[in-house]
Amino acid sequence: MNKIELLAPAKDLMKAKIAIMYGADAVYVGGRFYSLRSRASNFSLEDLKEISTFAKKYGAKVYVTVNIIFHDDDYYGIREYLRYLDSIGIDAVIISSLALIPVVKREAPHMECHISTQLSSLNSSAVRTLKEFGADRVVLGREASMDQIEQIAKKVSVPLEVFIHGGMCSNYSGRCTLSNRMTLRDANRGGCAHSCRWKYHLFDGDKPISNPNCLLSMSSKDLRASAYIERMIRCHIASLKIEGRMKSEYYIAQVVKTYRNMIDEIYEKGTLSPQRLAYYDGELSKAENRPSNDGFLSGDCDNSRHLYGVNGAGVTHDYIAYVRDYDGKRGIATIEVKNVFSSGDVVEAFGPDLDNKRFKVEYMFDEEWQSVLLANKPTQILRLRIPFAVKEGDMIRKVSRI
Amino acid sequence: MELLLTLRKMDQLERAVSVADGIIVGKFFSSGYHFTMHEFNQIYSYCKAHHCKFYIAMDNFVSENEKMLMYEYFDYIDSLDVDGIYFHDLGIYDAAKSYNLVSKLIYDGKTVLCNSLDTAFWLDKGIDSVVLSRELTLPEIRTIVHNNPQKTDLQIFGHLRMSQSKRKFLTNYFREIGKEYDFLNKETLTLIEENRNDRMPILEEESGTSIYTDYIFEMFSEITSLSPYLKRGIIDTLFIENEKQIFEVCRDYKRITSQNREFIKNSLYHNYPDNYSSGYLYQKTNITKE
Repeated sequence: MNKIELLAPAKDLMKAKIAIMYGADAVYVGGRFYSLRSRASNFSLEDLKEISTFAKKYGAKVYVTVNIIFHDDDYYGIREYLRYLDSIGIDAVIISSLALIPVVKREAPHMECHISTQLSSLNSSAVRTLKEFGADRVVLGREASMDQIEQIAKKVSVPLEVFIHGGMCSNYSGRCTLSNRMTLRDANRGGCAHSCRWKYHLFDGDKPISNPNCLLSMSSKDLRASAYIERMIRCHIASLKIEGRMKSEYYIAQVVKTYRNMIDEIYEKGTLSPQRLAYYDGELSKAENRPSNDGFLSGDCDNSRHLYGVNGAGVTHDYIAYVRDYDGKRGIATIEVKNVFSSGDVVEAFGPDLDNKRFKVEYMFDEEWQSVLLANKPTQILRLRIPFAVKEGDMIRKVSRI
Repeated sequence: MELLLTLRKMDQLERAVSVADGIIVGKFFSSGYHFTMHEFNQIYSYCKAHHCKFYIAMDNFVSENEKMLMYEYFDYIDSLDVDGIYFHDLGIYDAAKSYNLVSKLIYDGKTVLCNSLDTAFWLDKGIDSVVLSRELTLPEIRTIVHNNPQKTDLQIFGHLRMSQSKRKFLTNYFREIGKEYDFLNKETLTLIEENRNDRMPILEEESGTSIYTDYIFEMFSEITSLSPYLKRGIIDTLFIENEKQIFEVCRDYKRITSQNREFIKNSLYHNYPDNYSSGYLYQKTNITKE
């Protein structure tokens, strides 16, 4: 039996490498065109080649999103693009235009066609239709409950992918043009303004019926499916997908590492105790910048799954440094500052092979070896004494919130 | 071009049948239709007796636990002589195949059918026709309909559905603020974003919540150049309270020519002042964030 795949998002080359180093079996990334996250840095053709090569060294896969809702003009150059992706070893494209399936099969025969959640596939008959059309994998809509996912999985032969973590559209994916109307940004071509997270007065005729102190919002809490991973493994879901191509490297690292460890533990022990699940939930909380819950997985998506009185996500400042190097003889790490911290702070390092390890910040120096007491310049390179071995790619965070 | 009306109220049946070439009605897996089964049957019988075409709307998604209902519905549809089935969920295509009803299908992908390639893809599957996305510009529509004459439908009048959710936004909101309110299936509720003035109809039903444009889309100035290529034009009556306005619009679309189109349009604007718009016909929405 194939082990379930952990699929992570990546905004750019660095984040894709981090996702793979921290345990993702596959990453999905967007090129500069045809992709739904126009604000994400997105990958140049060279970047795509580099991440494909990098992934292969780790035995990981790379999927490229080609998931805008195409208008006629948008198809310009698509065949050449698909052929290029095929030639550099990209494993699959994630598409929402069904007409692209035969194009991919013809132009890029080594790549799979994964059907985007943009098509909101929510029943086994829809999945069968997509299989008949040539789909190699179907990403289910986020509106399916766990019971329904199990039912669908029993009835279909095409591999299924399920979202387990991250932001959720409050409307069916692909069926929302609030952003188009209110900002002229096409939600289905990478311009979503997240109008669903704004606040609205509600009227019945001319009579206001909303509470002025708590206006209506469609804003959804984020998804966290940690409690359902075991069931998803048991019903042979092919891939567990983390949302967040706009998220930071810290978010990617922490969320990927947590789910990686959780999945491995379930395979190793056959199950996950409530205590271990609580531990993993605690780990996921460290990367959380918006409240989360299980979305539609438990069936009903009631008001506890919505955000009222909050427009968007908060930003956490817990992630303070990225490790670039470590001099084992002197016990000194070269770090890149991400957020403010100071001498005397108790912090925690973690990495692909390093579980949370705390230490007190005591000795910090700049590149001229001048002593530094306050690290408050993001991207600044500092030397930091760390009493245990770390390596490039490890990260350091504050423990105040933890 | 056939002219179709969505029938939303039972008492509009006779007039609708007298002015339109066909009507669209929904029962299950559709939005904005609240007929009993008995009424649904009455509508069907009346249409057949008066040689008016009868189309079924199935423009919502189907969840796995609703599949049995979908097949039971197809059992029933199969016993009728319907002229077409507007569908949205891809599972309906699979179900229609088992009833040999694929040739009756009309794919209404709402927001997702925006190009010639996808149009050709669907038509190649043996379905009757497709409904083009409401977010297309006029040149984009022209290209697709010219490439696929008599194979595409278009909404030509009415509020446009902007969003569709399984979430019950009103139920959840009233629960959150601790208020009791009768809102289910109610067509008089609107949303106004706190920094804007546009009043957008919102409708919560058992299947979820939909939000519609503040404006009424119309294309009187453009329809004459498109109608030779369109199979059907759809007038959506949802949220339009003035019955006279609906039927006059229907008559106007039937008699419109390139000579009288501006007169007709001006008359509509004058006789039934409302928030009309050409929607996205002249407005691209491909601004992206930098």
